[in-house]
Amino acid sequence: MAPKRSSTALNSASGGGKQQNIAKFFGGKTNADSVNTPKIGAQASTSGSTGVQKKTAVASLQTSRPVAEVASATFSGREAVHAQPQLKRLRKAGTVTQTAATDAEDLADRSPSPSPRQENTTPAKSKSPAKRKSRTPAAGSPEETKATSAHPPSPAGRRPQMATSPAATDLTGSSADDEGQADRDDEAASNKRRKKAVLKAPASTAKVAGVGKSALAAAELHAKYEAGQAATWEAGAPVPFAFLAQTFTAIDATTKRTEITNILTDALRTIIATTPDDLLPTAYLLNNRVAPAHAGVELGIGDAILIKAISSVTGRNEKSIKEEAAKSGDLSSIANAAKGKQGLIGKVTANTIRSVFKTFRDIAKIEGNKSQDHKKALISKLLTASGKGSNEAGYIIRLLQGKLRIGLQEQGLLVGLAQAAFLERESAGRDTSSLAPRLEAAAQTVKQVFSECPSLDELVPALLGGPIKDLPKSVRFKPGVPIKAMLAKPTNGVTEVLDKFQDTQFTVEYKYDGERAQVHVDERGHVTIYSRNSEDMTGKYPDLAQRMPDLLAPDVKSLVVDCEAVAWDPKEGKIRPFQVLSTRKRKDVTVGSIQVQVVLFAFDCLFLNGESLLSKPLTERREALVGSMTAKPGQMEFATFKTSHDVEELGNFLNESVAAGMEGLIVKSLDSTYEPSKRSVNWLKLKKDYLEGVGDTFDVVVIGAWHGRGKRTGVYGSYLLAIYDDENEQFQTISKIGTGFSEELLKTLHGQLNEHVIDAPRTYYRWGESLVPEVWFDAQVVWEVKAADLSISPLHKAAAGLVDPTKGISIRFPRLVKTREDKSPDQATSPEQVAEMYNKQVLLSKTKGKAADDDDD
Amino acid sequence: MFEARLTQGGLLKKVLEAIKDLVSDANFDCSPTGFSLQAMDSSHVSLVAMQLRSDGFEHYRCDRNLNMGLNLGNMAKMLKCANNDDIITMKAEDAGDTVTFMFESPSQDRISDFELKLMDIDSEQLGIPDTDYAATVKMPSAEFARICKDLASIGETVAISVTKDGVKFSTSGDIGSANITVRQNTAVDKPDEQTVIDLNEPVMLTFALRYLNSFAKATPLSPCVIMSMSKELPVVVEYRIADMGHISFYLAPKIDDEEMEDGNE
Repeated sequence: MAPKRSSTALNSASGGGKQQNIAKFFGGKTNADSVNTPKIGAQASTSGSTGVQKKTAVASLQTSRPVAEVASATFSGREAVHAQPQLKRLRKAGTVTQTAATDAEDLADRSPSPSPRQENTTPAKSKSPAKRKSRTPAAGSPEETKATSAHPPSPAGRRPQMATSPAATDLTGSSADDEGQADRDDEAASNKRRKKAVLKAPASTAKVAGVGKSALAAAELHAKYEAGQAATWEAGAPVPFAFLAQTFTAIDATTKRTEITNILTDALRTIIATTPDDLLPTAYLLNNRVAPAHAGVELGIGDAILIKAISSVTGRNEKSIKEEAAKSGDLSSIANAAKGKQGLIGKVTANTIRSVFKTFRDIAKIEGNKSQDHKKALISKLLTASGKGSNEAGYIIRLLQGKLRIGLQEQGLLVGLAQAAFLERESAGRDTSSLAPRLEAAAQTVKQVFSECPSLDELVPALLGGPIKDLPKSVRFKPGVPIKAMLAKPTNGVTEVLDKFQDTQFTVEYKYDGERAQVHVDERGHVTIYSRNSEDMTGKYPDLAQRMPDLLAPDVKSLVVDCEAVAWDPKEGKIRPFQVLSTRKRKDVTVGSIQVQVVLFAFDCLFLNGESLLSKPLTERREALVGSMTAKPGQMEFATFKTSHDVEELGNFLNESVAAGMEGLIVKSLDSTYEPSKRSVNWLKLKKDYLEGVGDTFDVVVIGAWHGRGKRTGVYGSYLLAIYDDENEQFQTISKIGTGFSEELLKTLHGQLNEHVIDAPRTYYRWGESLVPEVWFDAQVVWEVKAADLSISPLHKAAAGLVDPTKGISIRFPRLVKTREDKSPDQATSPEQVAEMYNKQVLLSKTKGKAADDDDD
Repeated sequence: MFEARLTQGGLLKKVLEAIKDLVSDANFDCSPTGFSLQAMDSSHVSLVAMQLRSDGFEHYRCDRNLNMGLNLGNMAKMLKCANNDDIITMKAEDAGDTVTFMFESPSQDRISDFELKLMDIDSEQLGIPDTDYAATVKMPSAEFARICKDLASIGETVAISVTKDGVKFSTSGDIGSANITVRQNTAVDKPDEQTVIDLNEPVMLTFALRYLNSFAKATPLSPCVIMSMSKELPVVVEYRIADMGHISFYLAPKIDDEEMEDGNE
């Protein structure tokens, strides 16, 4: 055996001075000198193994850059910490334009410097006059430069990344902020328009023509941007994680959609231009995932283990971290601060995007005995290797928690990927005027293919491999990669349905009270069942999977059908309510042990024999469905439907459906295509309780409660409910609920919710000042509630800004229908839905009795 | 061939107890001058350097330099099987993949052989410079251990400040704060009980108490501890092992960020 040691002695003999000693200690072998001229010293020669020496050399070559910079980061950690908030302020003030020049000069001074150590050590005193001066907001550039030099991949990288947008907006003449505001307004307005437009137009029509002013401005910038410049790593070398952390920070610092897209596009271009291999892990990290949704690979990291890891790398006590986290609710900032305060000894190999992603995947795979220790060790390693100044440790924590919270949505990521790939690979030599619509078209294409094949594993290589217009050929819907279910819009009643579908052929289907199931049969006959959120549910429904092959028509080779799985009573031969289905085990069900039998109601066919039917009209899909399978009572049946335009008949059908134990009806346009993950106007739902009160129920998150008095002493008397604003990542209160609970239920709920009590409201809660609950809960529990109507309310924050500029919308007389265990808090009702329901209600009350009115305006 | 016979076998046990919680795997370096180890904890916050000189062993033979990668937890497990008064002999072949620990009771009536598998461990060696520290404090090791233990019940970090009068350990936590000052005290007859401060300039550094408490596990090895500090450098906490060598711990200080807070608003 050959015990390995890679060993590099510093040429300490020649050194002497104190400064240098510091360098040796803190930077270990990594100060600039030793990186450039790695010395295999006495110790190494004693190890005797050539293999080892080679290894050392390779290691120092590959990692020299990030390593050297991390070393400097360690030492000058305090500047980095300074610089961060400073930077934000600068950007706000819009004074960054000047920075570039000074920045570059400063860098020129810095980078070739043979002893950067000296600079990195002295400012640690940080009371130097320069430092003092730089704190005044106007003299921003030195501060910014500090941040750059203090941090790993920065030097050149930071400047374009961080400054591009505001600086560039400056060029257009007006002040950065005003212009930004205009952008935002413009964007907000166009968002609203788009949302409205959705109500009318089929969503599949790409809106390329309507390229806004901001898009043109962005295109101009994109045309000028030279992606390679921002990179501080050599082409082909792994991209430092710090680069991504800086991108996160830059995105987090703005709320403007266009700016977010621009920052993202620039960053992704830089990666494509230098190290395209890192694009996939980057995309996954930006999407805060380790694998496609359907792969069922989750990190499964709880706060407890993160606290342990933070404690182990910073010397802080678990207990005090826990206490601080309970107060602030933000482990990421605790991690970053703790990491920033602890000095280091020796070399730390900086995290790279691919190393972080690989570690995440490793963590997701760990199971069994001692898995927690193993996970903790890997997390600790990531934290140890996190440089300071870019909140690297903080972002590692947030990513592990699955709460990136920088305001970047999947759609935004797709636009960024599309633009970056297009600009780097296809746009050479094009004039900017035609660039904007082309970028828009690229984004539409990417969004479209991703909705049909939501897997970055497929999309990213295809983006790098060929022109975007060819994507639909290579990235296609296929068995094994589920699409998000198409959803139905709520309505108020039969009349409204008829209004909406005036000139359309439509059909009405039973809305079964069960669980959505997308059943995939691939060419090998392998059956997989996915939930509405693309989770693999085959383990929950092995019986369904088992019976599928027998139901298929002989000529069917591959198939995807959209179904509802409903609990079934074989003795009585009828379906049972959802509550029964929810008692079924969730995982590892064996066919022999099944208590709750299930029948499958198929209503759509999405894929047949190698061909996607998503873009085919419903009539055709229905034909395919009926032709591909044979119904068997109690096993698989086709959803009951009726095609009629008669109000009376529809009303009767609704009553029939309710009598048969349905939730209501789904009304579908016959010539509509299947629109994955969209709540489309082509599908409308008509619930049985539509005619009483508000059309639909609300899915709300319980975030607070008041202690009960009198009879309700000892349990919570009322609860505070919130909806989830996906765009701003906030929970906004919508109502207080206090009636309709039985004593028993109050007790159960009290017990359930006590598990989620937190000391203080989360920073992302929005509530009315005069309606502060006595107890706050972590946003975990989702309830379905019914309400009488909606009203504008100063007490609540739901959809604030959408209908009334400041006031929110509240629901009145909410009643608890059930706990939605199948929904996560971020799937709660959205502000847009609430606003839409409110608007509809207003409209209905105005035009009561009138048959034909258009509620889209 | 490496072979080292240590009459006071308990010493090796104590060495292991002192470092095994800090470092899980490490390379021991066997050379003609002695048996040594340098290892960093996984968080890169502390470093331990241990040296047992060859002349401290009863018998010492090292034909070629040898690295032995060992899991310290497992090594400690084996050494626990030795009595404190046993004579311990370590043996390893030049190209072998095990190390043997032989325990002989003083009366020679019980001899045990334990063979531990070696591991491949990637580690790097830092050149530790000779530094003129701003302040060096020599104090009874038990006193140091007690201070660290007491303060850890109050706070997470300790600020150690050395002036010509004494060395002050301060901490604060949720429940309150604590200060312990140890005065220079050279009057005692026994040098081991003295507190001696050698000061070039006053210095104050802050450290995570958890690491210092871990270092204090070396207390049984030496009656006194020597703490050397300079601004912004890791502190060195050294335990000298009589006639054998030393075990030194290096700990990176907390980075003081008060200035940032003033500076921001």
